[in-house]
Amino acid sequence: MEIELLKEELNILNSKLEIQIKNNNELYINTTSNEVKAVVELLLSKFKITFVGQFCSQKQIFTINIILSNRSQGYFIIVRYDTTDELVSLQDITYQGHLFEREIADLYGIKIIGGKDTRNIVKHEVWQKDVFPLRKEYAFGSKIKPANEADEYQFKKVSGSGGYQIPVGPVHAGIIEPGHFRFSAIGEPIENLEIRLMYKHKGIEKICENIDANKLNLVFERIAGESSAAYAECYALLVEKLMKWEISNEVKALRVVLLELERIYNYLDDIAGICVDVAYSYPAKRFNYFSEMIHQLCERVTGSRFSRNAIVPGGININFTSKHKDDILHTLGSIEKRLNNIIQATLSSVSFLDRIESTGVLYNKTATKLILTGVVGRASDIRYDVRKSFPYEIYKEIKTKANAELSGGVCERYNLKITEIKDAFEFIRKALSLIQADIPRTKKEVVIQEGNEAYAAVETVKGELVVYGQAGKNNMWNRIYFKTPSFTNWNGLTYAVSGEIVPDFPLCNKSFNMSYAENDR
Amino acid sequence: MRIILDRIKYSRETKKDILFDNPYSYGKVNINNEKCNGCSKCIGECIVGAISIKDGKAIIDHDKCIYCGNCTQICDKAALEMVHDCKFCTLEQAGNELKQKIYKKFKRSLVLRSVDTGSCNACMLELAATQNTYYDISRFGVKFAASPRHSDGIVVTGPVTINMREALIKTYNAMPEPRLVIAVGACSLDGGIFKDGYGSVGKLGDIIPVDLYIPGCPPSPQAIVYGLLKLVDRI
Repeated sequence: MEIELLKEELNILNSKLEIQIKNNNELYINTTSNEVKAVVELLLSKFKITFVGQFCSQKQIFTINIILSNRSQGYFIIVRYDTTDELVSLQDITYQGHLFEREIADLYGIKIIGGKDTRNIVKHEVWQKDVFPLRKEYAFGSKIKPANEADEYQFKKVSGSGGYQIPVGPVHAGIIEPGHFRFSAIGEPIENLEIRLMYKHKGIEKICENIDANKLNLVFERIAGESSAAYAECYALLVEKLMKWEISNEVKALRVVLLELERIYNYLDDIAGICVDVAYSYPAKRFNYFSEMIHQLCERVTGSRFSRNAIVPGGININFTSKHKDDILHTLGSIEKRLNNIIQATLSSVSFLDRIESTGVLYNKTATKLILTGVVGRASDIRYDVRKSFPYEIYKEIKTKANAELSGGVCERYNLKITEIKDAFEFIRKALSLIQADIPRTKKEVVIQEGNEAYAAVETVKGELVVYGQAGKNNMWNRIYFKTPSFTNWNGLTYAVSGEIVPDFPLCNKSFNMSYAENDR
Repeated sequence: MRIILDRIKYSRETKKDILFDNPYSYGKVNINNEKCNGCSKCIGECIVGAISIKDGKAIIDHDKCIYCGNCTQICDKAALEMVHDCKFCTLEQAGNELKQKIYKKFKRSLVLRSVDTGSCNACMLELAATQNTYYDISRFGVKFAASPRHSDGIVVTGPVTINMREALIKTYNAMPEPRLVIAVGACSLDGGIFKDGYGSVGKLGDIIPVDLYIPGCPPSPQAIVYGLLKLVDRI
């Protein structure tokens, strides 16, 4: 249903709602804490609307914002209500709602009313008891002191004869980020896996509120290193939406080139990781080598191996010449044939397929309930890609359908990542064909007006990233909220591994390859 | 069969001279004192506050710099210039006495443990990249172990967050002595861009002693290899 139609329909159903359309694709519904649950339930059940996330913002009092989206028409619906110290739990109508509610409770000190899961999520045991760092009263620059005052975290327990727990982490064996996994196993198979994260929580949302809007792209790029370009793109989209800037087609094409290069090296590392965990080392090493080649290509084009400080609001921060264009085409051409050969080698190896087929299966029904996005969701046949539903840059012309696989196992995720790599090669060629002349460095000054707000969405390598920005005083933001893909996708892993044996966990984990950094922020 | 053919066709891909000059990489920002007139435009552009003015000239604190290059673009006198050489870490953090000890004990091999205390993952990817077939750091005897009990030192990436502080100290204490601490990346030393976040607890040096700091955001695999080889006195 189109956005205007939905607005009229809602007005007929409930005339008391204040409904407003902003920035063409955002529908804001103001309601009260008494009615919010009924409104969200109505939207989720009657119209084909998906739950995205929930966050809190503060002006004088707190406002709870519930983000919903219409994936087929490509617009956001934001249901919000004011509150002083309580939020209405949506845990019984949204499966992952508890994550968002617990985060709000920890950082704003707002009580969850009617929720089953109210454990701390950000607040580890070491925190002080009554600090709520995202509140405006909490001064920027002050630190949480280690005091060991917060409640102890209660893991799910498996008891009875033969049941035992395996704690893993937070420091893992390998060059990986920190996180705690608690396996409950009965015999060999995993009965339950509980993931405890937020070890890397630095408070980036607070930092974003206190940095000039012109420099903020640097912080965005450092939320998740592997998707630096995608985060910078998201900031650029957010600012451009607010400022109503028009970007030339050539710059748009160049941005797509950088975003797709990022996708290639990430997915190459991912499929290399899957090969490593199956102990098939030759392809793994080659995939890593190709990814290194792409990193070096990025360095030659942008000056940074992660394309950092290249995509900026209002333009592009590099001088792009025909020399770079030839370099990209040549590098891609030189690895493509060899890459295809090695992929074929893996897919025709029986021992490799034996390990990955029907391992770590995540059914479509589960994935839909958990609102998984990105490759993980698409491998379970959720046909949703931000590039298709909320097209940005030139994706409207080049991205015609969302790739998907049916049964959601490790093999499907492996295949899908390969498909995405192949697509990326094609997109880069198409985008480069649009760039005829040299593109000079263009950077505009960002001046945001207080009170304006917008949402931006980008498909990162992990899934759907939604960023909310509300402009504040002194050219700074009053609130920046990240709904990162890993935040919801991590729980998909717990369902994928249940019933598998413990030694298959690394394989399943690598096929998901979620980011700890962007989850923790 | 495909694999054998691939191997024959492309042979080996490891770079022999690992510390080759890379003209595309980023490096130190140098200030030309003759051109600099102390207009302090660059100070406003720096997100981490690495630039200050002393005696009418700008100076850069390279422990803080994240090498974004914004200051070189804003300067209309072109006094700031980025050198394209990522191999510039120094051993100043470690004292002379300790240096001798390190050289003696770890000259032939170095087994490290990586602890991420809150990085953005880019440093971790670059650390992992040192092990790929292009750089192949293991030929120099540098290995990453799975347990701190088996290692000579830890590699710390990212600012130390409140939630990771205890885990870091435990990992450090689990290592046998003498032990090294290598800080990788701009935010590992004092928080860098995340310095003011409520979650980061402050300088790594206040928690455990740091022997080597490899600057960069993220430091390229070359820079990491250079730092580690320098630490064991192989360069």
